[in-house]
Amino acid sequence: MKIINKPFVRTLLSVLLCIAAFSGHTTMAQTSLKTLTVSGVVTDENHEPLAGVSVAIDGTTNTGTITDIDGQYLLSGVSSGATLIFSYVGMESIGVEVNGRNRIDVTMTPNSTVLDEVVAIGYGSIRKSDVTGSVASVKPETLTNTPANSVENLLQGRAPGLSVNNPSQDPGASSTVRIRGASSLNGSNSPLIVVDGFPLGDAGDLKQVNPSDIVGIEILKDASASAIYGSRGANGVIMIKTRRAAEGKTVVTVRQQLTLSQKSTKLDLWRDPVLMATLNNEARINGGLDPLYVGKVSSTGIYYPSIDELMTTWDINTRWDELTLRDTPLSNNTTVSVSSSNEKTIFSLSANYYSEQGLYIKDDYRKYGYNLNVEHRIFNNFKVQARNILSRTERNDNSSLAYWRNPIFPVYDSEGNYYLTNANDFEHPLAISELRKKQSKSIDVISSGALIWDIIPGLVLTTQLNYKFGSSVSDSYYPMKYTEAGEFSGGQGNIGNWEGHNLVSETFANFNRDFGKHNLGAMLGYSYEYYMSRSSSMTSRGFVNESLGNENMSAGNPAQFSVSNSKEQTRLVSGMARINYSFDNRYLATVTFRADGSSKFGKNNKWAYFPSAAISWKAHQEEFIRNLGIFDELKPRLSYGVSGNQGISPYQTLSRYGSEKYFNNGAWVTTIGPGYVSGWTGQDGIYRVWSGIPNPDLKWESTSQFDLGLDLGFLNNRLRAGFDFYIKKTKDLLRQRNLALSSGYDKMWVNDGNIENRGVELSLDAIMLDTRDWRLSGTLILSHNRNKITNLGNSLTSGLITDPNTGMMFEYTGNNYEQYRDYINLLAIGQPINVFYGYKVDGIVQSLDEGIRAGLEGDYAMPGEFKYVDINGDGQITEADKTIIGNPNPDLQLSLQLNLGWRNWDLGIFFNGEFGKDVYNTKAFGEASNSPLRWTTDNPTDRYPSLRDGRQNMVSDWWVEDGSFIRIQDLTLGYTFNFKKSWICDKIRIYANVSNLYTFSGFKGYDPEVGLNGIYTGGYPRLRKWTFGVDFNF
Amino acid sequence: MKIKINILAIALGASAVLSSCNLNETPYGFYAEDNFYKTAADAEAAVNYAYGCMTFLEYSRSVFFLGDMPSDALTAKSDASKDNQDLDKWKIADFSQNGTLENFFKYSYIGINRSNAVIKKIPECSFDQELKDQYLGEAYFLRAYNYFNLVRNFGLVPMQYSVVETLDQTSAPLADNLDRVYDLILGDCRRAADLMGSYGAPRMGRADRVAAQALAAKAYLYVASAKEHGVKLYRDMTRDTEQMYDSAAYFADRVVNGQNVYHFDSSLLDIYDVEKPDGPEHIFLMAMDRSGTSEGEYSKISKMFIPYIDGATIYLRQGDSESFIPSHDGWGEYQTTAVFYNSFDENDLRKKHLICDKVYNASGEVMAKYPDNFQYPFSRKYIDPQFSGDKTSTRPFLIRFSDVALILAEAVGPTAEGYRLVNYIRNRAGLPDLTPGLDVNDFREAVYRERSFELSFEGDRMYDIRRFNRVSEIEAAKGMSENDVTFYPIPQAEINLNGSLR
Repeated sequence: MKIINKPFVRTLLSVLLCIAAFSGHTTMAQTSLKTLTVSGVVTDENHEPLAGVSVAIDGTTNTGTITDIDGQYLLSGVSSGATLIFSYVGMESIGVEVNGRNRIDVTMTPNSTVLDEVVAIGYGSIRKSDVTGSVASVKPETLTNTPANSVENLLQGRAPGLSVNNPSQDPGASSTVRIRGASSLNGSNSPLIVVDGFPLGDAGDLKQVNPSDIVGIEILKDASASAIYGSRGANGVIMIKTRRAAEGKTVVTVRQQLTLSQKSTKLDLWRDPVLMATLNNEARINGGLDPLYVGKVSSTGIYYPSIDELMTTWDINTRWDELTLRDTPLSNNTTVSVSSSNEKTIFSLSANYYSEQGLYIKDDYRKYGYNLNVEHRIFNNFKVQARNILSRTERNDNSSLAYWRNPIFPVYDSEGNYYLTNANDFEHPLAISELRKKQSKSIDVISSGALIWDIIPGLVLTTQLNYKFGSSVSDSYYPMKYTEAGEFSGGQGNIGNWEGHNLVSETFANFNRDFGKHNLGAMLGYSYEYYMSRSSSMTSRGFVNESLGNENMSAGNPAQFSVSNSKEQTRLVSGMARINYSFDNRYLATVTFRADGSSKFGKNNKWAYFPSAAISWKAHQEEFIRNLGIFDELKPRLSYGVSGNQGISPYQTLSRYGSEKYFNNGAWVTTIGPGYVSGWTGQDGIYRVWSGIPNPDLKWESTSQFDLGLDLGFLNNRLRAGFDFYIKKTKDLLRQRNLALSSGYDKMWVNDGNIENRGVELSLDAIMLDTRDWRLSGTLILSHNRNKITNLGNSLTSGLITDPNTGMMFEYTGNNYEQYRDYINLLAIGQPINVFYGYKVDGIVQSLDEGIRAGLEGDYAMPGEFKYVDINGDGQITEADKTIIGNPNPDLQLSLQLNLGWRNWDLGIFFNGEFGKDVYNTKAFGEASNSPLRWTTDNPTDRYPSLRDGRQNMVSDWWVEDGSFIRIQDLTLGYTFNFKKSWICDKIRIYANVSNLYTFSGFKGYDPEVGLNGIYTGGYPRLRKWTFGVDFNF
Repeated sequence: MKIKINILAIALGASAVLSSCNLNETPYGFYAEDNFYKTAADAEAAVNYAYGCMTFLEYSRSVFFLGDMPSDALTAKSDASKDNQDLDKWKIADFSQNGTLENFFKYSYIGINRSNAVIKKIPECSFDQELKDQYLGEAYFLRAYNYFNLVRNFGLVPMQYSVVETLDQTSAPLADNLDRVYDLILGDCRRAADLMGSYGAPRMGRADRVAAQALAAKAYLYVASAKEHGVKLYRDMTRDTEQMYDSAAYFADRVVNGQNVYHFDSSLLDIYDVEKPDGPEHIFLMAMDRSGTSEGEYSKISKMFIPYIDGATIYLRQGDSESFIPSHDGWGEYQTTAVFYNSFDENDLRKKHLICDKVYNASGEVMAKYPDNFQYPFSRKYIDPQFSGDKTSTRPFLIRFSDVALILAEAVGPTAEGYRLVNYIRNRAGLPDLTPGLDVNDFREAVYRERSFELSFEGDRMYDIRRFNRVSEIEAAKGMSENDVTFYPIPQAEINLNGSLR
């Protein structure tokens, strides 16, 4: 019971009081008719009287009473066989059978659920009150009212310092997870996820574990907590604990959720073809082109009706969105679990079926999961544990259809075939939906076995063997008509296979013992990890007959077959140790150390060492603090340590040859030699990037982190606060340096560069109300992180660019956007990662003279154009006028969870928001909603430019919007029925949940929650999801 | 307790031993030094790898961007990239950052590095000596070929004598003087000619002894005439001009008279027939084929020469006959200048048959003509009637027999042999014999002129202009100083990254 949280217990107890409404008649039948008046005193452990303790009679509608200032209570009409329930905030609730007594005195003990909770910290666990590092716990129960494919999706806003981004809403989409900002440029920035002691890898897509099976989530943030994971700890660690077993009896739970989704905002589409055509003509005329909508066949062979025709006789106005998008995508989530235990064996079994429909038609995702945990005590001091997770996913990917297709195009031509505008029309959404195949299926197995041996009291040896297997198959077929890939190659089919194996063997001993006032905990362990993945892919092109798609790959043209395969393997050998020492339960110290040897590191740097240390002071245990009578907890913490990021791909430290084809003697032959193509560069990515020189010194990125924290508890821990300040400095960033052209190579991986994150985190938990009928509690979380790149290595070998006005050194990152023929994001020294770089715009040019004076030329000086600002004042608008125009990293992340309970009702509301972040809105102009606001001579606005085809937009602050938002992310209303044992079912909870109910934001696109680069490219509106759920407990 | 702790220690120790492992990586699925260069097939794959990098679009398009575009023969289209506009217009200010020059420079060194790998590794292999000699010879040839291109364009360049395998080896110093560069080029050519035999028939994309001799002839002639004309740096070379002419003549003579695989092709159109890559003129031809899957494997050179004609299939007349061959239209990147077009003799078949001012439709009717429907008359040396979309088998001509014949003529001067060769080429183009009795300078001037017609649009013109020290006579480069025009600057990126150049 200890690990189950307090609100849950309290809810359970108080709803028991209301049981008569539903099963009262059965209860009454058991009650003796004789009634008593009972009185007594309620005191705490120190025999101090407790005022305001609620005293209630179990199983009746009697409202009960509360104790007075002296702890006294008096309650009449109590049947002699009844049970009195004493409850008080911060104290363990007690049930006392009356047994005919008139006086019942009760001593209550403090509730153990807050400070005595045990938290997992990697190769062991520790009481929460003894934690010296920065560890945040998340209660999974509050999350799972909304179904999700993976738990990360639900962690948004749930812990200080943790940021979760869900830019994609496609079914099965993964999340982007960060703890305390980004500390790597080329390696992973995702925290390590550890499930029941098994380090699985990057967080973001833990689809294998059903969120309903999760009973504990710990976020290890500072170095003292995460350095025990060494070269994988730099991004923090998320520890997941899954359901293990019930207590004593057999428990069966069934959880059923049904979700209906709807678009939370309207689509930005042309509904009026006349307006669309008029503006299109205007744009073309302004661009010096012939207008399209003039009732003629255009040069591309399409008949475009004239405006008159559109207004009168034209009757095609296809609503493509209605044909390609679902009205209310449906999702289902069913979990059935059984658990039981006796003295020797405990087990838990659960099965899950999860299905999710995407917004696009035929866009589907399904998952079947199965999870078995068994623990058996062979001897009193020796037990064995086994855990197996099996999950299968199936995805039919039909996303990104052109729902915005021109409404004047019909669906079918006169012969009933799909209407195409020309042979290169690869957008017809229905043709693609019907004929293109794009599927993937995967199977994942996670299996762990552990032996746990209590050698002597206080010394436990654990040996755990973990194995993870994943396999996926993808199938695709692109028909020779309707798709670009198919048209180019005469039909293209592909089958891709991937499998990955991950074996982790770890053995560690935990020792814990009191020596008088001294307590010593120690851990010493060893771990070996082997990872191997291999993949193969075959592509066939030039199909004579397309009816089988990729089912018969040999039906393609043999001359166009292509195959590829790869394999990589890595090994990691580690030793780790930890010492926890406390004196007099007041002064705490923790020291950890890990040594990692990785096959991925260069031969001169095979071993890495990661130390950390932390101290903490339980000031509330000091007499002088206790005498203040304010603090239930006052615990400052201080930690420092080093952790790493081994985000190197395997084989980067070896020399490597490439392979190509050469036409020789009338046939293609394979050629091999030094240097291989490691990437593509240049406009449209047509130039090769050559790598292949080994770097024997290549090593991990190293993050040192300082953390100062304070934990506070007031009012019997009804109000708790946590505060952390951290500085996180990462050095030896993995980067690619440029090599001299005359070397025959372009790039080589090196450790060069520094990045820094610093921030503050604050969390506030309050129980505002806790009476027999009413419960109100809340959690407020605030996180601020400031990211700064401090070094990008040697400017020459890194090829950095210098801003001519400020001297800032930078390089572009991310994509070159076609709309601007330019990059938007930068990595710049002294700036946060991904800042926007471009021109400034000072309104719209209103006269040619004004345009010329602004330094603009040609068409760009005409009225209606963007008035770019000549920042360096040289009278021209050139590259030298670019500057930093936005920062996509939020200044503040905020969330607030409020839970209100009244009798059997529970209401939860969760707000989540981000403030002080910029979003680059590439759809700020040219869309149906904003094109009509354009500049014209009749509407000489300073806000929007004119419509002009052929205008080359430049990256500018005109497109940057404030992306701050606060969202009602979650709203849940539930009702719990409780039944006595006589009924078949113990408890039923029914609830309704809505996620993304409403977003408050000034952002003009669909939704300001975009990827971490801050660039908004449209997509579709955020989905509001209505979930109806019922949980049965048998 | 003690026993239990012992057990614990043993358990920990045992699991440590059981799972202890070697942290060294062994490559999987890719080739590296350890698992390659074992067999003759490996060696051939390595040699072909060295040839292959020339076909990439980063390099193959530069053949014309460097060899023809800066001369008065070609000009860039108005919306060509800045890099290519600058080359055409001789806007030298940004030459050190010019991406086209950078790519040409880099890919020459990629070829050199791949050749160096062969040169280092093949002697360690054990297989048939004759094959080893052949492959080694090809590697020397390719290294010389790439350095020859570098020295002609950039002058003194970094000298990579051996394959680059570590970071320390990526900072090669500049050659001290041109003699050092030519030591390598000429030495490699001689070694290649000694090592290699003949394939018995022209083989597309592969060099043999004749190619090495031809390259030697080109290089000797280049030094001879550049020194004679006082080209910067060449005038300081210790090599003797006359000796250089003699050596050029010697090697050119080996090609022209010392073998019978390669010879003149009597038909102009056949030389440029993509179906005849094994024609007798093709001593060294870039290997490309339309069946490839990426650009480089197949060629888009045709698209670069042909103007845009409404995206249509066009038909070209075969000489004076009534037969036509189809082609796609193009992008108009390499545009013939009117000056150059008009410099041809009216009767020159190389103008009448190889430069199109009209295109036809499938029925042989004129569909479009210059100057009404397209901007410039275009070369039809790169036409593939069996084009598939943009894919063609059109290939840059790297060393052609006629080129070597003219080298021999230029080297030997107004001798009977010299006149014979020039006149053959003139007669084949429908022109009368060259004026007899010219002195050596006038004769060489006449050959210089003849080369401009015969080797037009083959990426060769600029090098003749350079060795005759006439770059500043180009319209766009008029009045520029010797320092500005003699060589392109070493790319700034190389200077930034090559530690020994800073």
